[in-house]
Amino acid sequence: MRALIVDDSRATRAVLRRLLHGLSFDGIAEAGDGRQALEELSANGPADVALVDWNMPVMDGLEFVSRVRSDTANDVMRIVMVTTEADADHMVSALEAGADEYAMKPFTAAVIRDKLALLGVV
Amino acid sequence: MQTTVPDLSTITNEIWTAMFGIGVEPADDGADHARGERVVTGVVQLTGDAEGAVTVQCSDRLARRATATMFAVDVTEVSDEDLSDCIGELANMTGGNVKSALDGHNELSLPSVTVGRDYEVTVRGSRVVQRRAFDAAGDTLVVTLLTRDRA
Ligand SMILES: [Mg+2]
Repeated sequence: MRALIVDDSRATRAVLRRLLHGLSFDGIAEAGDGRQALEELSANGPADVALVDWNMPVMDGLEFVSRVRSDTANDVMRIVMVTTEADADHMVSALEAGADEYAMKPFTAAVIRDKLALLGVV
Repeated sequence: MQTTVPDLSTITNEIWTAMFGIGVEPADDGADHARGERVVTGVVQLTGDAEGAVTVQCSDRLARRATATMFAVDVTEVSDEDLSDCIGELANMTGGNVKSALDGHNELSLPSVTVGRDYEVTVRGSRVVQRRAFDAAGDTLVVTLLTRDRA
């Protein structure tokens, strides 16, 4: 399974990378903002799952998700928002834009694993 | 206009336990970092129905410990850049959870981080609504919510 981690915090990317590695993901790509993530997708194609932060410079997570979902080539990629934006308004916007699951920061390994299991990627 | 006051103690304890495996204990309200101590401060601004900021201040030693945990390295290997990244993300998480507990519609800024000794963090036109000091594994941690009154 391949994953894409999109978060402006390298510390959070490091935590998620270890977590995914422990769940036997073999290809893990990282991007520090939505634009970098789109570049990664156009270079290497969609991953099986993307873990996407909301608050990032250059292009935020919501815009990234909308752009990803405007290209049917990415339909195979499941998207989990992993964000500190925990209110209902944000959650609804993200799901409407095409995110499949939503996890709040701070997260635990168990929560991320459960979300991935719901999506059938672990 | 703010009818809900978020509970900084619960939010802080949840974040520190989940992200760093460090439990935080409430300290005396007046507890602060020692004069001359190196302190790392992460700040996020709130804009919208509640204007203000959330600050997270930890001793350099505590900040390095937290950073080492996130990057899974030894504390001696933590760079200043790693430290800023981690404490910025910590401020983002704390601010995000505070924002969720506030009424109305609010936006969160990207975090900024300051490191130094004997400095004061002020947010123009704002006052401290809640300040909580903690003992985090023997080090001092201070989390503050400031809001700006509307003219
Ligand atoms: Mg972020």
